[in-house]
Amino acid sequence: MKHRLQSLGISLKVLFLSLFLIVMVFPLYWITITSLKPSDEIFSIPLQYWPAHITFDNFINIFNISNFHIYIMNSLIVSLTASLVVLMIAVLSAYVLARYHFKGNKQIMYAFFLTQMIPAFIGFAPLYIMMSHFGLLNKLYSLMIVYTAGLIPFCTIMLRGFFQRIPSSLEEAAMIDGCSRLSALLRVILPVMLPGIAATFIFAFVQNWNELFLSIMFIDQESSKTIPVAINGFITKFNIDWGPMSAGAVLSVIPTIIIFAFCQKMIVGGLTQGAEKG
Amino acid sequence: MVRTKRMALFVLTCVMLTSMVMSGCGSSSKDSNDSASKGGGTVTLKMIESLTSPERTEVLKKMLGEFEQQNPGIKVELISPPLQNADTKIATMLAAKEDLDVLEVRDITAKQFVTNKFIEDLKAYTSKWENYKTLNDSAKMSANYIDNTPYYIPYGLYQKILFYRKDFFDAKGLTPPATWQEVYEKGKALTDPAQNRYGYAYRGGAGGDNFTLMITQAFNADQINPDDSMFLKDGKTIFSTPESKQAMDLFTKIYQEASPKDSTNWAFSETVESFVSGVTAMLINDPDVIAVTKEKMKEGTWATAPIPLGPTGKAPRFVGAAGWGMTSYSKHKEEAWKLIEFLSNPDQNLVFAKAVGLIPIHTTAAEDEFFKKGAYQPFIDMNSKSDQYFMMRDATDYKGYGESKKIAVEDNQALILNQRSVDDVLKNWDKYWTDQKANQKK
Amino acid sequence: MKNTVKARKPVSSQSKFIFFCLLPAILMVGMFTFYPFFRGIGMAFQNYTLFDLTDIHFIGLDNFKTIFEQPQFLQALSNSFYWVFVSLIFQFVIGFILALLLKKPFKGRGVYQGFIFYSWAMSGFLIGIIWRWMLNGQIGVINDLLLKVGLIEERIGFLSDPKWSLASVIVANVWYGIAFFAIMLLAALQSIPDDLYESAGIDGANWFHKLFYVTIPYIMPTIIASTLLRVIWIFNFPDIIYAMTNGGPAGSTHILATYMMDKIMFGGDYGQAGAAGVIMIILLAMYTIFYLTATKSGKGADF
Repeated sequence: MKHRLQSLGISLKVLFLSLFLIVMVFPLYWITITSLKPSDEIFSIPLQYWPAHITFDNFINIFNISNFHIYIMNSLIVSLTASLVVLMIAVLSAYVLARYHFKGNKQIMYAFFLTQMIPAFIGFAPLYIMMSHFGLLNKLYSLMIVYTAGLIPFCTIMLRGFFQRIPSSLEEAAMIDGCSRLSALLRVILPVMLPGIAATFIFAFVQNWNELFLSIMFIDQESSKTIPVAINGFITKFNIDWGPMSAGAVLSVIPTIIIFAFCQKMIVGGLTQGAEKG
Repeated sequence: MVRTKRMALFVLTCVMLTSMVMSGCGSSSKDSNDSASKGGGTVTLKMIESLTSPERTEVLKKMLGEFEQQNPGIKVELISPPLQNADTKIATMLAAKEDLDVLEVRDITAKQFVTNKFIEDLKAYTSKWENYKTLNDSAKMSANYIDNTPYYIPYGLYQKILFYRKDFFDAKGLTPPATWQEVYEKGKALTDPAQNRYGYAYRGGAGGDNFTLMITQAFNADQINPDDSMFLKDGKTIFSTPESKQAMDLFTKIYQEASPKDSTNWAFSETVESFVSGVTAMLINDPDVIAVTKEKMKEGTWATAPIPLGPTGKAPRFVGAAGWGMTSYSKHKEEAWKLIEFLSNPDQNLVFAKAVGLIPIHTTAAEDEFFKKGAYQPFIDMNSKSDQYFMMRDATDYKGYGESKKIAVEDNQALILNQRSVDDVLKNWDKYWTDQKANQKK
Repeated sequence: MKNTVKARKPVSSQSKFIFFCLLPAILMVGMFTFYPFFRGIGMAFQNYTLFDLTDIHFIGLDNFKTIFEQPQFLQALSNSFYWVFVSLIFQFVIGFILALLLKKPFKGRGVYQGFIFYSWAMSGFLIGIIWRWMLNGQIGVINDLLLKVGLIEERIGFLSDPKWSLASVIVANVWYGIAFFAIMLLAALQSIPDDLYESAGIDGANWFHKLFYVTIPYIMPTIIASTLLRVIWIFNFPDIIYAMTNGGPAGSTHILATYMMDKIMFGGDYGQAGAAGVIMIILLAMYTIFYLTATKSGKGADF
């Protein structure tokens, strides 16, 4: 009886997991298939679940007609730099906020938490005018700055949680050994927190990689465009250009999937560390 | 003490790193500006387009290349934002006085740009422009639409025509519809959901307001005030009459009995796609669709006709336009005008109008075979019967114009889905425009 | 004498340390988030439209009055409620089941996780576009599949029929958000020490008992924190709807976030958009306070 129940449980588990896998993968499958179809096949009825003629024209076109290699580079540079900078800033602020009791500590945390509630568009125009005033528009660093600023609060909140899990006896011991506060932070605590930092970094990277509206507004010239803007450009007055659009979509998803496939252990591990009761 | 110093040093480095990213590059952008204005007399013009599509951008870039060749001292940097957010981006750039010299001005954005003093009065340039004389009446009217002042030079004109599937109509022995009533009757006759075929490509989504307005105005044609097209000659709104109710009832029937169910939320692209792929048999749209139908449909399967008439045999209409203007704060006005002049000269305009599918702006183009025959024929026919197809002035002067489009679409969707009654919807529109007029006078 | 110097020095160096560590974060956030935000709030009380920027003046609460009189706003308000809570419940329940199933290692678990977690790494805009493509009423693959299986006889206008549209955008949002909960909850589950279960096992507890008396109480802080944050994010997340329906048909899929975007994109009315934004923040703040009081997790920002 118990044995039968157990095997029933296992087959239910397998059933659920496989169903779920299909549901999750199907959209990716479909957009990939669309990107490999010649344009007349995309709209043909009955629908082709496997392209009759596989073609890479859509991929070739987005590199030839639009400068997709430039967009990929831009997206990479912006996302990596902004994520690294935000991590540097957030590690410092999170550490201080987690470790020290001082006047204003709580208020800063509340202010950071409040930023999570701010609807993105409310400050759009004032932000643009300010950036324009300081001559900060239309360069890759324009995006780096706003992306960094936008992610500081959340990354601080997240990292602060990790710091709180680490017993302060750790750096106290190091400081007794003659380390300065800063080198204790760098040499002793950060290595222990590595999985949490990695999880935060990946979170920041994904946000930056996908950001669309700021990028549309702040970037004018071709040479600084990012991938999401380029993909959005395939929506024209006449139609959505599904061929190149899906090719662009596939290309933009690949890096994040790779990161996830390789790093998901680290992400889950890092967050596990954060969830452990310290 | 040493510790504190080291710590401060480290933190300072972090701060400097971030500020370097900001300020370091900030200064470099200033450098590039300086070198642009000094460096050997080359002037860089910044130009932004609004109705972007990859194909159109290609055409435009070719034209700009030619311009740069003819004017070695001028370089043009074209900004092509994605269509959906282009006008928002342009308005925001203008409000912040971002560097911009030449911009795409649309009939629907012109008033806003003029009110905010974003764009330059071009009279000083057009008065000396030899090709100004050859602009056709519609182009001149569009250019001078706001305050009788040329604020932009159109690159082409939009007027609606009816596209129909000639093969479907022939198979049923039907002729193209002349009136809205016939659009309904013939559309219904052509509808066969089992075959996934419908009479009319109904536009329920974005831009659908153009069509609810079109049929309402056609039904009110005898009383409408052409200079203030949301209103009748007696000052009431066009939505207050029993005719407007008849119009909206008929239009609702066209949706419910002769159009795909799905079309409640169709915008431009879906209606065109449905027509091109043979799902729908009639489509009312702008001439830029001609380029698409020519490319994607077999010759002889489609044709064009004048827009449908109202019950009194009239079909008032608008001429839409978009074109090139100059920012009021441009530092290179002479060069900017040179560019606008180049883009608007008869040869270049013909190239652009043909490629994009527009009615050209110069009278000289009327001699071009391309615009005399075939798909463009209805435009000539309608223009020759100007008392039947008379021109009106669009309500772009009103502050609530942009918002009214959104409201019209949403109310109409509720109407055709039987969520609201005709009376209710018309009352809402009547009130909206009465309020607009009252506020305008203040 | 010696003592006081010793005591003063650490204090001053410590406050310097705190100051310098916080400076970059506060500067950046203050400049690029709070300054524009306060300016935006200011606009909510002004007549501030792109149509006429030469005539900007304070108008008190008129913008709030105007939008409260609009049926579209009220519909967006109620849609926001469904959008947030229906999405959240499905994301959470499915994510939790998934996390439970993935807790024990099995062959290929890493690859499996890679394939189901990727949705979280995609942009909302792109997800919206893909789902719009799949849910298309004419040539959408989902209609085709449902027809093939025989579940429906006639194509459904998922995004054009107001009966279906809100459900359709919510489905896409659920699809997107499951991974977030699965990851967060999986991490929390893995942090439960094994001996907790062992001691429960000795007492003869079955699987359900373990779940409700050991697992859920242990990961409660994670559940509270992640659902709280998630509600705020979903509430403020216009991307999927913007790409799929842009609020249509007949406003049936407008939520406050897209309503506000629309005010800017179509109306150019920053005043009314700001007013909508202020209302959104007030709602979220009220929700947060209520939620944290109800769950008795007083430390508002403890994650």
